[in-house]
Amino acid sequence: MEFEKLFWARQQVYILKIFLPIIFGFLILSVGLIALFIFSFWKRHYKLWQLGKEEDRSGQVGKRLRTLLAVIFANYRLWEEPYPGTMHFLIFWGVLLLSLGKVIRIFSLLVGLTNPPQSIFLIASFISESGGGWVIVGGAMAVFRRYILKPTRLDTKPERTLIFIWGFLLLLTGYFIKGYRISAAGISVPMNWYFWAPISYPLSKFFLTLPSQALNELLIWHRVFIHAIPASIFFIYITLSHSPLKHFFLSPINIYFRSLKPKSVLLPLPDIEEAETFGVREISEFTWKQLLDLEACTACGRCQDVCPAFLSGKPLSPKKMTQNLKEMLWRQAPFLLSKPMDGKKEPEPIVGSTVKEEELWACTACMACEEVCPIYIEQIPRNIDLRRYLVLMETKFPSGLKGVFKNLMNNHNPWGMSRGARADWAKGLKVGILSKGPERGILFWVGCAGSFDDRNISVTISLVSILKSIGISFWILGTEEGCCGDPARRTGNEYLFKTFAESNIEILQKYGVKQILTMCPHCFHTLKNEYPQFGGKFDVVHYTQFLADLLSKGIIKLTKPIQKTITYHDSCYLGRGNQIYGAPRKILKSIPGLRIVEMKRHGRRSFCCGAGGGRMWLEENIGTRINQMRTLEAYGTKAELVGTACPYCLTMLRDGIKEIGKEEVLSVFDIGELVERAL
Amino acid sequence: MWIPLRPIAILIELAILIGIIFSIFNGLMFTLFDYRLDPKYQPFIKWVLITMGFLGLVFFIAHLIAFYPRLGSPSRF
Repeated sequence: MEFEKLFWARQQVYILKIFLPIIFGFLILSVGLIALFIFSFWKRHYKLWQLGKEEDRSGQVGKRLRTLLAVIFANYRLWEEPYPGTMHFLIFWGVLLLSLGKVIRIFSLLVGLTNPPQSIFLIASFISESGGGWVIVGGAMAVFRRYILKPTRLDTKPERTLIFIWGFLLLLTGYFIKGYRISAAGISVPMNWYFWAPISYPLSKFFLTLPSQALNELLIWHRVFIHAIPASIFFIYITLSHSPLKHFFLSPINIYFRSLKPKSVLLPLPDIEEAETFGVREISEFTWKQLLDLEACTACGRCQDVCPAFLSGKPLSPKKMTQNLKEMLWRQAPFLLSKPMDGKKEPEPIVGSTVKEEELWACTACMACEEVCPIYIEQIPRNIDLRRYLVLMETKFPSGLKGVFKNLMNNHNPWGMSRGARADWAKGLKVGILSKGPERGILFWVGCAGSFDDRNISVTISLVSILKSIGISFWILGTEEGCCGDPARRTGNEYLFKTFAESNIEILQKYGVKQILTMCPHCFHTLKNEYPQFGGKFDVVHYTQFLADLLSKGIIKLTKPIQKTITYHDSCYLGRGNQIYGAPRKILKSIPGLRIVEMKRHGRRSFCCGAGGGRMWLEENIGTRINQMRTLEAYGTKAELVGTACPYCLTMLRDGIKEIGKEEVLSVFDIGELVERAL
Repeated sequence: MWIPLRPIAILIELAILIGIIFSIFNGLMFTLFDYRLDPKYQPFIKWVLITMGFLGLVFFIAHLIAFYPRLGSPSRF
C-alpha cells in the first residue's frame, strides 16, 4: 500500500502511519468491548436470572422469532401511541442506519471503496448521516416529551438525562469528523457531497482549517479521538452500569421468551403435596423469566396509565412495583450470588418491604398492564405468586376473603349459599340434569353467579330460554357443579383451586362431557385454559361465541326491535384474556333497532369493572370506586343501556349506576337478556 | 467563518469538550454506585471529579488557544 493515499475527500492521507494503525486499534478495542459486554452480560444478568426457579419457555421458535422481529424492526405495540411510537422508531432506525453506515465506512478503505469513492461508500455516507438525523429528531422529541410535556408516567432520573447529553455529543462530534475532512479538502470535494453528506457538508462551511495538509490531518484525527473515545466509554458505561439503555438487548430477550399462553393463565404450584413452601416470599423464588421481566422493564409507564387500581387512586402502580422489585433484585444480587456460608442471614421478604400488602391486593388481575406492555412483561402471575405465599404460608389476606374461602370450602361457592340450592333457579324450567339422564348435547356450565345471584339468575334463565327456543339440546350438572375455582386461584389460594379443579374435572369426565357452554367469562377462562393443567381438556365456548355462531348460520333470527342506544363493556377475561371482542358486538349488531356506541376505552383497551382478581369480595375504601369510574364512562357515551357478558361486570355496573344516581337514564343488561327480548 | 469568530469557535469546542467530560465522569459515578459503593462516598467522589474536570477545562482552554486554527479559508457560503 502506498505511503500516501488519495482519500475519499481527495486529500493525501498517511495511510500506513496514521490511518491503518488507528483503524486496527479501533478494531482491537471493539473486540475488547464485545468481550467486556459478554462478560458483563454473563456476570450481571445471566447469573442473576439463574437464581430464579426453572420455567420452560422453549419451543415454538418460529412464533417467538416472528414476534421478536415485529417488535424490534416494526416497533409493533409502540405505535398505539403515535408520539412515543414515532420517537422510538426514529431513534431505533436512526441508530441502526448510523451503525450500518459506520461499519461500511470503517472497512471501506481496506476493500477499496474509497478511492475513488464508489457508490456504496457514498450511499453508506448518506445512510449514516440520515440515520444520525433521525436520532436527533427522535431524541429531540424524547427530550420535549420528558422535560417539557412531562407525562406523569415518566420518572426522569439523572441516568436518563445523561443518555440524552452524551448521545447528542456523540452525534455532534461524529458529524464534526466528516465536516472537518470536507473542510480540509476544500474545494476539491465534489459538489454532490451536499447530497451524500447532508449534515456534515453544511457544517464543514463553518470550520476553520490549518494551513498545511499535515496539520489538517492532525486536526481531523483529533476529532476522531474526541468522538471515538467518548463513544467507547459510552458503550462501556452501558455495559457495566444499570443504564436504561440496556433495554437494547434486555427487551429483545424478554420478548423472545414471552408467554405464548392466553394472558393470565396461571401455572399450578409444582409438587404441591411435597413442597415445604408455596408461592414467592423472596426475590430468588421467582422464576428466571420473572427475574428477566424485572430487569427488562424500561419504566415506560404504559402499564401505569391503564391500571384501574392506579387510576382510581389505589396504592398500586404496576410500573413502580416492577421497578421496586428490580431495585430489590439488584440490591440483593451480591448477597444472593455469594457462596453459602455459615451465618448467612435469611433473605428479605418481598411483601412488607418492597411490596406493600395493600398494593398487592389492589390488583384486579385485569391484564390491562400486560396488554399494553411493549415487551410482554407478565405482571399478573407475579402478583398471584406473591399472594400465594401470603395466603398459603402466612394465612395473611384481607378480611373479606376469610368468608369467601370458608364459603368455597363448605358450600363450593363464594356466596355461602347451600350447595344443594345450586339448581334451584332451574325449578319449573324443565332443564335436564346430567346425573338424571343420558349425556346428550352440550353441557351448560352455569357458574356460581348464575346459580345464586338473583340478578344473574335472570341472565341464566334468559340463556336457557334462548337455547330451548331454538331447540338446542343441553344439560346442566345441577348440584354436582362446583365453583370453577377462579376466585380461589386469583386470590392465591391455589390449594383450594386445585381441589375444585380436580373435583370438577372428575365429574365432567365421569359423564363423558365433551363440549361446555359457559355463561361467565371467568369460568370460561378457567375451564378452557387452566383445567388442561389438571388433565381436563374440554371444548369450552362462551355463550357469546355460541350465539354469534348461531346468528351467522341463521339458526337464530332476532326480529323484535330494541330501540335503544347501547354501549358494550368488554369483560377482561373474555376480551384481553381470550381475545373475544367481535362475538358480543356481532350479537348486538344483529338486534334490530339497537344502536351501538363505544366507550373511549373498549376492546383491548377496555377498563376493568373492578371485580377481578378477587376484588369482587373485597372492600374498596381507598380512592374512587373503579365500578363508578367505568359507569361514568358508559354514562358519558349518552347510551341508555350498558351491555355486558359477565356476571361480575353486570353486578359491578349495576351497583355503579345506583351509586352515581343514574338509574333513570342508564340500565345494564347482559347480552343474553337482550337476545331473549329480541327473539 | 472569518478569523475574528475564532473565540466563538473555541467556546463552542470548549462546550463540547466539557460536555464530554461531564458525561464520562457522570457515567463513572453512576457505574460506581451501581456496584453498590456506599453512598457516603458520593460527595468525595463528586469533588474529585469536579476538580479533575476543572483541570481538564484549564488544559483545553490553553490547548485550544495555542493550537486552534488561526488561518483558514473564509466561509465558502
